[in-house]
Amino acid sequence: MLLAYPREFRLEYGSEMTQLFRDCHRDVQSDGLVTTLEFWLRMILDVIRTAPVERWDRLGNRTMKNLKSDAIGLLGCVAIIVVALFLLRYGMKHQIAPLLLFGALDAIVAAGVVSNLIIFPLLMATRLSRFRTALWTLLIVHGALLLTAALIGTSDPHFNFPWVFAGYVVSFLFWLTIHWLWSQTKTILTTSH
Amino acid sequence: MAKERLDPEKLLPLTSSVFHILLALSDGDLHGYGIMQEVAEHTGGQIRLGPGTLYGAIKRLLANGLIVETDRRPDAELDDERRRYYRLTDFGRQVLKAEAQRISKLVSVAQRKRLLPKQT
Repeated sequence: MLLAYPREFRLEYGSEMTQLFRDCHRDVQSDGLVTTLEFWLRMILDVIRTAPVERWDRLGNRTMKNLKSDAIGLLGCVAIIVVALFLLRYGMKHQIAPLLLFGALDAIVAAGVVSNLIIFPLLMATRLSRFRTALWTLLIVHGALLLTAALIGTSDPHFNFPWVFAGYVVSFLFWLTIHWLWSQTKTILTTSH
Repeated sequence: MAKERLDPEKLLPLTSSVFHILLALSDGDLHGYGIMQEVAEHTGGQIRLGPGTLYGAIKRLLANGLIVETDRRPDAELDDERRRYYRLTDFGRQVLKAEAQRISKLVSVAQRKRLLPKQT
């Protein structure tokens, strides 16, 4: 039942909680089945009521500490996506963008939206490594979108897989660089305190 | 970094479990099981604090400076395992008194409205 509580809480109070449980269980052991069942019910309800509170408390503390920096990071990614979208629309409208840039901008917008929607909530809710989380998420999302594009494109005679592939590679490297720079910035800010 | 001391009134109203824990500690240092037993005794068995409730409250009380952990010492009555004892701080006592006064005022209102008998 202790596993329901956050790790830090377990490390700090786990042994005392276990001892308290043992003490209380010892008190009711000789009182009959009904009392013992009531005891177990009380313990289970206590866990159900308090474990989510402790988890929320921990999440809130960490979220509040990183909220400002995560908000800046998220706004930065949104700004990049918006700029890429405008460039894409401009290129499409005036047909002046070369194929590679067109493909890359398209991938940057699509993969950027999906990847960052996964990366930021994941980082806010867990203690995973910032850069590694971004790396694996970007890899998986770009791979999935590329596969989807390839499957859809087989029915289109104008579909140019090498350019699309190159576009996704450029997008992957672009977002990976952004997230690497962001992780380096956070490291500098953290160590300077 | 020293935590800025709050006005006791700002922490009111206390939750029922926090109030009872502070009340239990007002007579002296206690460990977790001792607090639980004291609370069960002074509420006539109506309130039995579970481990999660008790230590969640203790965590917050420690963070707010209402209680402190004292030096560990063995509890010879039960077993040889060392237990962590907790003590009410001066600030914690102020908060406890403020809450008791708040409740007392409510009791006075209830007595005026004849919901409770007046004390003679």
